[in-house]
Amino acid sequence: MTAQNIDRIVAELIAAYRDGISVAAEGPRRLIRIAEVELYPTCQPPQTSLLLVLDVDQPKPQVFVKPGQLLANGRVPKNSSNVLVGGETWMQFSFNIPWAENQDIIRFVAAARQRFAQNE
Amino acid sequence: MSSVDLRIPLGLGEKLLDHVFQTGTHECVAFGLVSHAQLRRRPTLLLRKIVVLREEDYLPTRAHGATWRGAAMFPLMGDAVDDNLGILVIHAHDHEGPPRLSGDDLASAARLIPMFRNRVPSRPHGTVVVSRTHATGRIWLPDRTQPSDLGEVRWFGSAITDWTPATAISGENCSAFVRQSLVVGGQGQGWINRAKVAVVGLGGGGSHVVQQLTYLGIGEIVAIDSDTFEETNHHRVVGAGGKDLGRRKVDIMYRLVRQINLHGRLRRIHARIPNAVAVSAVRDCDIIVGCVDTLFTRSDLQELASRYLIPYVDVGVSIRPVETNNVTDRRVSISGNIVTFIPGGFCMWCSGFITDEKLKAEQQGPTRGYFEKNNDEAQVVSLNGVVSSQAVTEVLQLLTGFGGASVRTADTRVPGADVQRGYKKFDGVSGTLQEWGATRRKDCNHCRETLAAGDLIFRKPSA
Repeated sequence: MTAQNIDRIVAELIAAYRDGISVAAEGPRRLIRIAEVELYPTCQPPQTSLLLVLDVDQPKPQVFVKPGQLLANGRVPKNSSNVLVGGETWMQFSFNIPWAENQDIIRFVAAARQRFAQNE
Repeated sequence: MSSVDLRIPLGLGEKLLDHVFQTGTHECVAFGLVSHAQLRRRPTLLLRKIVVLREEDYLPTRAHGATWRGAAMFPLMGDAVDDNLGILVIHAHDHEGPPRLSGDDLASAARLIPMFRNRVPSRPHGTVVVSRTHATGRIWLPDRTQPSDLGEVRWFGSAITDWTPATAISGENCSAFVRQSLVVGGQGQGWINRAKVAVVGLGGGGSHVVQQLTYLGIGEIVAIDSDTFEETNHHRVVGAGGKDLGRRKVDIMYRLVRQINLHGRLRRIHARIPNAVAVSAVRDCDIIVGCVDTLFTRSDLQELASRYLIPYVDVGVSIRPVETNNVTDRRVSISGNIVTFIPGGFCMWCSGFITDEKLKAEQQGPTRGYFEKNNDEAQVVSLNGVVSSQAVTEVLQLLTGFGGASVRTADTRVPGADVQRGYKKFDGVSGTLQEWGATRRKDCNHCRETLAAGDLIFRKPSA
């Protein structure tokens, strides 16, 4: 992602989530924490914090949620694992969305949230 | 109000002391750029960079101390803002024993600190004076109006050197350690008795380490492993017996420590790195010993060690058949490593022990089979014991400096070679343990981004 697109993405997230957002920088990375996003109602828990890592060396943002997040059917998401990000523990998970860096970040976040409505 | 500790990595300590103890017509001032984190239940400053003034930046003065052009601090303030770091103003009083901040020092702080806090409000700032043996300071933490006192200063070199406000640390008054104290001294035994060491991985390597750390008299061992004891572990896990099948390894180690019944205690964490409880426990330790099987876990431990300036000793053994066309040839190669990360020295990325390619290969294929997990890998208790014993000796050196304690980079080098000590290779066939050493790479992205990075500071964006 280009530095300009990262700045634009951060601005879009701030506009969408306002007070629910906080931002950190470390080296070339920008880390954006959304305090609470809604997941599918039967997910456990149905809300979580979400972390987006924007890196000029990566084509897409990396997305993480709080460790221990379960799917709508109460199971652990396939291909998920706990990882260290900036010294904190987060859960990484896989999901697919055709997305380019000049596109809307909110749609990208929505796809990440939607991943937890799936039952595997 | 609790005091604030300071950690100083190898290399920066030497640069700092060399500058502030220069003799001349004025005191010499160094500026330390710091991150911070809550470690061992105390706010802890982590020194990332030392900036010194040029001689022409000082203004002539007949008064005691030093004055300098305000504009000389512009680049420093720019660095602090760009990297979101706090600023320490550091100078020296050349004597032994606790120094005192003078009225001039406090007046200078009263002028500078509000300016620093205004520029970087989310990090601590302060003023520090060092003597040859102690340090004193006032630190303004974010969101606090009153300053805190500087507490312990921890220097990293060939050993850990702590400058504590207390005058003396004495060892456990226990005859069990009398003969060990002949080697490490009474004060050295004191450092051992108050140390907290994380042992990550409690299999063929980690169980040896736990046992020996207990015999040393380590104050607290934080034992981390999510596994249970299996029959295939029985030939190499020290302290385990046939009745332990299915028992958690942390519980077996807990029992082992209680059976030895010396000074220390063991905290059990039935989880694997990077579980949040395990990460939190590791952050609070003085030293990490990693006896793990994957590069991913090593990479996580290296990140924690670098970020919070914690020495990290990593061990592993690999036994493989020698590849020949002769099916009756049963020779094996036995190689082991003991890698000691001293904060500020080379890391596992600098030495090439961890690379992106290796991590990717591990993610897509079988684990390398150090000690555990890959059941096809051979394991022999005596070979694990050699590298584990050396790892414990590395811990002993770090805590007591029995082989020398110096913050000088030169004193950490392998004699006759331009490499730093701390990368030992074990050849189990010849029975040799050899110091290979390694060098901190100036272009190491891991060191540049992570060393002394402290906690991430998340901020609400300005409207």
